[in-house]
Amino acid sequence: MVIKKIKTTAKDLLTDGSVSLIIGYGINGLGDVTPVFIKDPDDVEKLVWNDQCYYNLIRYLSDRDFIEQNNGSIGIIIKGCDQKSLKVLLSESQVNRDKIKVIGVTCKGLMDSDGNVLAKCEACDVVYPDKDFCDVIIGEEVKKKEKEKDFSDIDEIDSMDLPDRKKFWNNYFERCLRCYACRNICPLCYCKECIMDQHNPLWVLPSASVGGNRLFHIVRAYHLTGRCVDCGECERVCPIGMPLRKINRKIIKVVKERFDFESGKDQEQKSPLTRYRENDSEDFII
Amino acid sequence: MSRSHFDSGEKVKKKLKIIGFLCNWCSYAGADLAGTSRLQYPADIRIIRVPCSGRMNPLLVLKCLQEGADGVLVSGCHPGDCHYQEGNYYVRRRMLILKNLLEYFGIDKRRFHMSWVSASEGAKWADVVKKVVKDVRDACEEEVKTAG
Repeated sequence: MVIKKIKTTAKDLLTDGSVSLIIGYGINGLGDVTPVFIKDPDDVEKLVWNDQCYYNLIRYLSDRDFIEQNNGSIGIIIKGCDQKSLKVLLSESQVNRDKIKVIGVTCKGLMDSDGNVLAKCEACDVVYPDKDFCDVIIGEEVKKKEKEKDFSDIDEIDSMDLPDRKKFWNNYFERCLRCYACRNICPLCYCKECIMDQHNPLWVLPSASVGGNRLFHIVRAYHLTGRCVDCGECERVCPIGMPLRKINRKIIKVVKERFDFESGKDQEQKSPLTRYRENDSEDFII
Repeated sequence: MSRSHFDSGEKVKKKLKIIGFLCNWCSYAGADLAGTSRLQYPADIRIIRVPCSGRMNPLLVLKCLQEGADGVLVSGCHPGDCHYQEGNYYVRRRMLILKNLLEYFGIDKRRFHMSWVSASEGAKWADVVKKVVKDVRDACEEEVKTAG
């Protein structure tokens, strides 16, 4: 049983001193899955594993203050999608690979509260995390399916007329609260001072106006170019239900088509914006 | 009141505000040559000299559009001729992403342009400005029409 193996692995890592902290999934007072932080080997009973383990726990590794508070190594439980964001963090030298123990778990797909498989899980191609990347792998081995990514919903938006497209997005920009939940949950948004918080110079209007919100989302999407791995957390936490994955996947599509690059595959990859090819596309240049 | 021209229903002004970011070594010199050659081109463009097109940050383009510019033009050296070797290669990638993003969110793609103009291409500069001004004016008029 997967959960039994997770608990014994966690207990072993804590008792033999390999790690001083385990980050995994537990249950909160309301019965929902929540991240748990375990330091005592006996507390591993708190760990759970089910199809509601939504959180991308890598978010805690990109928080430098959190890492500093934990001098010892950290053991972290990851799904395939989380693994991709960890690889991006490693390629950007944000995480010390020697100070973490990666516990990969096979994930057959997450379900929402109505029992439907999440959209991001239907498109998943990393059900089984990489054997040579994780320190421990738990769960049955699943052959990797080379799936062609489905961008039909992006194409649908691209094929709209300009006024319709504007209306489609303005509908969400009018409702965006600028709560920054999407920015705060993203494991790759780790700037100490976010450009949205800068007042001098003021780049993005801080008020929740349509124009300001549009700029916020354009800038955040641009800052994730070649980095976003589509873990889907931003869309999950948005309180107004903005289809944020449609924004990030648009850029993923452009980066794949024009720069032939896919993020999160390899921790040695360099960002496409720090590279160029002499024959890069120029069709938009006069 | 929004200063941004994205959402205004104002009538299209006679004189547009187009901001041009020109690289010091090629495009700015090319524009200067157009001037000394007394070539005629629309005066709607306002030029900002940057050391290299590679200095261009998409945020600068967005800030211009937010603050009321009708259009933005970024112009640099031809690929392979950058004074700093590689700056224009990097900006080519950056602006490709920006162009796609702007268009995706319903901002008329005719508002943002990029061009390669060398120091000897005074005539090309005049043509580039004529094209950009025409495109931006068309975009503004179309937006006013659809805004009703």
